[in-house]
Amino acid sequence: MIVRSPDELSLASPLGRVRAVTKLGLALAWLVGLALVVDPRPPIVVALSAALAGVAFGAIRPAALFRGVAPLSLAAVGVGVFNALFSAANGDPLQPVALSVGPVRLTEVALVGGLALGLRILAIATVGVVFALTTDSTALVDGLVQQLRVPERFGYGALAAYQAVPRLAANLATLRQARRIRGLRGSWHPRILVGLLVLAIRHGDRLALAMDARGFGSARRTRYREVRWGPIDALALVVGLVVIVAALATAD
Amino acid sequence: MPALRDVSFTLDRGECLLVLGPSGSGKSTLALAIAGLVPRELHGEWFGRLMLDGRATTETPAPDLAAIVGLVFQDPASQLVMERVEDDVAFGLENRAWPRPEMRLRIPVAIAEVGLRGLERRRSTTLSGGEQQRLALGGVLAPRPRVLVLDEPTANLDPAGAEAFVERLAAIRDARAATIVLVEHRVELAWGLADKVLALGRDGRPIDAGPPGDVLARSGRRMATEGIWLPETPEGAPASPAVVRSQRPLVEAADVSFGYVPGRLAVEDVDLTVAAGERLALVGPNGSGKSTLGLLLVGLLRPDAGRVRLGGADPSRLAAADLARRAGYVFQDPEAQFLAMRVRDEVELGLRPSERAAVPALMDALRLPLGEFGERSPYTLSGGEQRRLSLACVLVRRPDLLVLDEPTFGQDRLGYDGLLDILSERVEEGTAVVAATHDRRLVHDLGGRTVALDRGRVVSGTGHGAAAA
Amino acid sequence: MATTYGQAAGAVADTHWRTRDIVVAAIIGVAFGVVFIAWNGLWEAVGAVVLPARSLIYGVWLIPAVLAPLIVRKPGAALFAEMVAAGLSVFLGGTPWGPDALLSGFVQGAAAELVFAFTLYRSYSLPVLVVAAVASAAGAWIHDWVLYYAETDTQTMLLVGGAMAVSAVLVSALGSVALARALRQAGALEGFPD
Ligand SMILES: Nc1ncnc2c1ncn2[C@@H]1O[C@H](COP(=O)(O)OP(=O)(O)OP(=O)(O)O)[C@@H](O)[C@H]1O
Ligand SMILES: Nc1ncnc2c1ncn2[C@@H]1O[C@H](COP(=O)(O)OP(=O)(O)OP(=O)(O)O)[C@@H](O)[C@H]1O
Ligand SMILES: [Mg+2]
Ligand SMILES: [Mg+2]
Repeated sequence: MIVRSPDELSLASPLGRVRAVTKLGLALAWLVGLALVVDPRPPIVVALSAALAGVAFGAIRPAALFRGVAPLSLAAVGVGVFNALFSAANGDPLQPVALSVGPVRLTEVALVGGLALGLRILAIATVGVVFALTTDSTALVDGLVQQLRVPERFGYGALAAYQAVPRLAANLATLRQARRIRGLRGSWHPRILVGLLVLAIRHGDRLALAMDARGFGSARRTRYREVRWGPIDALALVVGLVVIVAALATAD
Repeated sequence: MPALRDVSFTLDRGECLLVLGPSGSGKSTLALAIAGLVPRELHGEWFGRLMLDGRATTETPAPDLAAIVGLVFQDPASQLVMERVEDDVAFGLENRAWPRPEMRLRIPVAIAEVGLRGLERRRSTTLSGGEQQRLALGGVLAPRPRVLVLDEPTANLDPAGAEAFVERLAAIRDARAATIVLVEHRVELAWGLADKVLALGRDGRPIDAGPPGDVLARSGRRMATEGIWLPETPEGAPASPAVVRSQRPLVEAADVSFGYVPGRLAVEDVDLTVAAGERLALVGPNGSGKSTLGLLLVGLLRPDAGRVRLGGADPSRLAAADLARRAGYVFQDPEAQFLAMRVRDEVELGLRPSERAAVPALMDALRLPLGEFGERSPYTLSGGEQRRLSLACVLVRRPDLLVLDEPTFGQDRLGYDGLLDILSERVEEGTAVVAATHDRRLVHDLGGRTVALDRGRVVSGTGHGAAAA
Repeated sequence: MATTYGQAAGAVADTHWRTRDIVVAAIIGVAFGVVFIAWNGLWEAVGAVVLPARSLIYGVWLIPAVLAPLIVRKPGAALFAEMVAAGLSVFLGGTPWGPDALLSGFVQGAAAELVFAFTLYRSYSLPVLVVAAVASAAGAWIHDWVLYYAETDTQTMLLVGGAMAVSAVLVSALGSVALARALRQAGALEGFPD
């Protein structure tokens, strides 16, 4: 399994140096902004801004960005078509018709609405990929714990569990192979899910044991890495808010 | 039945205790007890007293105990907490509230002590098994524990990695920097470290304890009959002479390459032929592609380039039932292949009723009698028991080809001999056996061809035996 | 002198999270994240267009919000496990729903959490689990409607919601109970309350 982790170049870039929490906050602000209006223009502005920022200030290779967004384009098309097909506007006889095939009657409003929602998914995906390719998961947890006061044990407990991803992916593959080599068909049998969860929980248990044995959960804890706000966060925040306001301003 | 009983020993500051015992004798249980995790975290009945630095483990709060004892487990990956090497070493110091300037001084030293300098910013999931285990040691050593408990720390490592690890331990012992309790099956490496030896018997009772020489002289024979590996166990002649009975190639791999991720091949341009009745040992460092090649041979992975033929067919395209008749595979991680909730169901999984008759005898031969183990969960067995169960699941069938990934992992002498007997029986019947292993003794005793891999390529031994025309 | 160490059963909900509770709840989220990613192909194959059909397997997405609390029995388990699962898709290839994964994870986890909180974290009986699963599905339904199906007519969305509720009951609630039973049989839950 490919763990999409940012490369060192991106982490050292200006966007990489913006605190993870700032980026996360902005990403959520953009998301909420996009949810406010159904119009094809704001998502286009957001997607282009995110892509531009990622490539110009985040040292992301365009190919990597494309590879990240591509899997969601199918979902984007699907959601767009679904909305267009089942739009309430299609039943409104006063709406101008753009396309009609047999009993299916697609109005202009429905088509534009479908397009807007498909693009919304692409915009969200682009923001997500840029965030993931410029943000270190350790830095995110450090930020959540130190800047947003997320309880420390939960933050680092989750981070420890994330380290198991490659292992669990390999376990999943092994379980499917184990069924096959014993002559059993159905490589997605529910037993496999049970097996995977048993392995995951046992691994989690051992990991927790190792963490306890290393003194995790003691009353006072110091921090090797300190996260503080910097001027670059203020800059990113201002630019980010300007972008979403500008994007929304393009809507009808 | 108690996992451990009537165990008593004392250990002075800076001494090293080597704990030996057959599989299931309670070694891991003892290791966890010293760290206070038995009985606090793992429940059960507890008799007696275990004093550490003058304090009873059952009465000392967990964080206080953690400040005294450092624990290293067998599986390196299950003890790495943070994403990057440096942060992982810092983890234990942060928990003990070390001031930042002191951490800055200590962390590079701890990293250097375990030989990982230069890898500070690496993600620990990208390290090799040997490096991961040294990182685990570094993380545990950083806060300078007074007691260091290690449970089979080299079990997953290649010989070079294991030696490098033991070297680090020797340096710690020689500096008397910590009192060490070491559980190991690989005595040949660990014996030199020991100031004292504690030998446990099958029933979890101690056989003997004391200085290594004395214990060996007094109880060597008893230890051997219990199945404990002893340092000077001579390597006898190979179990049976390396004769290939057949010229008929059973498996053929031609120019096979495979990569898990684009741009990095795990197996590259491998040519390999195995004849019916042949024995083949696959060796090579951690990550050299042994397991991957094994999976390719039985068609559980499909090559990116080249082709594999098993009895003339492409094994990756066979129906599952057909494949299971032709090939058996024992995966490296014993517990990752279990699919049932009881030992009995696990061995019988996918068997035809006619094949079930063979189960009880085989389980007895592997010392997992169904009467005792049949109703237990495969997951709560000890490491060595799990390995034997996973072997049983494959040996109960009679496929033409057996591929075994680290079959002797964690086995005591009796488990080892039992397995070898079964294997030579199968070879007699014409089964081909391919074993991927770090165990030099197995390579020797198997008595067949050896093929060495490095970074996915065959580097020594030829891919073709007598079957090559 | 023998001392038996084990779980002390009490009438009052135990609210202290041990390290193993935290890591196990998190790893349940991670394991499902891994399964989702491996399943992504199937998800797409069911057809992006056939939303009601897709809704029938939606319940799989909500299992962590039911299974984690059922196993660790601590306040916040539903929300925590669901957020961890969501966080995974922020960092992994395959499902780059990005920031929205966090939002939808939050909505799904919080909805289930409210139900468990309502029992003061004392009951994990089947009816409670069913209500929690349906609440979680309702959260997901509203979230998806607002964000992705804003143009779709109400009737269609009611059909979708119905399918999701059925899936929540059959897959999330009953599935979690079956999984927990199997895990207990396997001996994986020795350190957790019955
Ligand atoms: N969680 C458990 N539940 C029940 N029995 C257990 C559990 N863990 C271990 N045992 C049993 O306790 C005994 C001692 O196990 P332990 O793991 O300490 O053995 P070991 O000496 O470390 O063996 P190995 O060399 O195979 O690792 C074994 O018989 C084992 O089956
Ligand atoms: N499931 C997987 N996903 C990605 N990479 C993998 C996977 N399994 C193995 N690899 C990589 O493929 C290479 C070969 O691994 P393999 O497990 O075949 O080596 P090995 O010789 O069996 O090692 P060991 O002695 O540690 O068992 C390694 O670089 C490993 O990191
Ligand atoms: Mg053990
Ligand atoms: Mg291997």
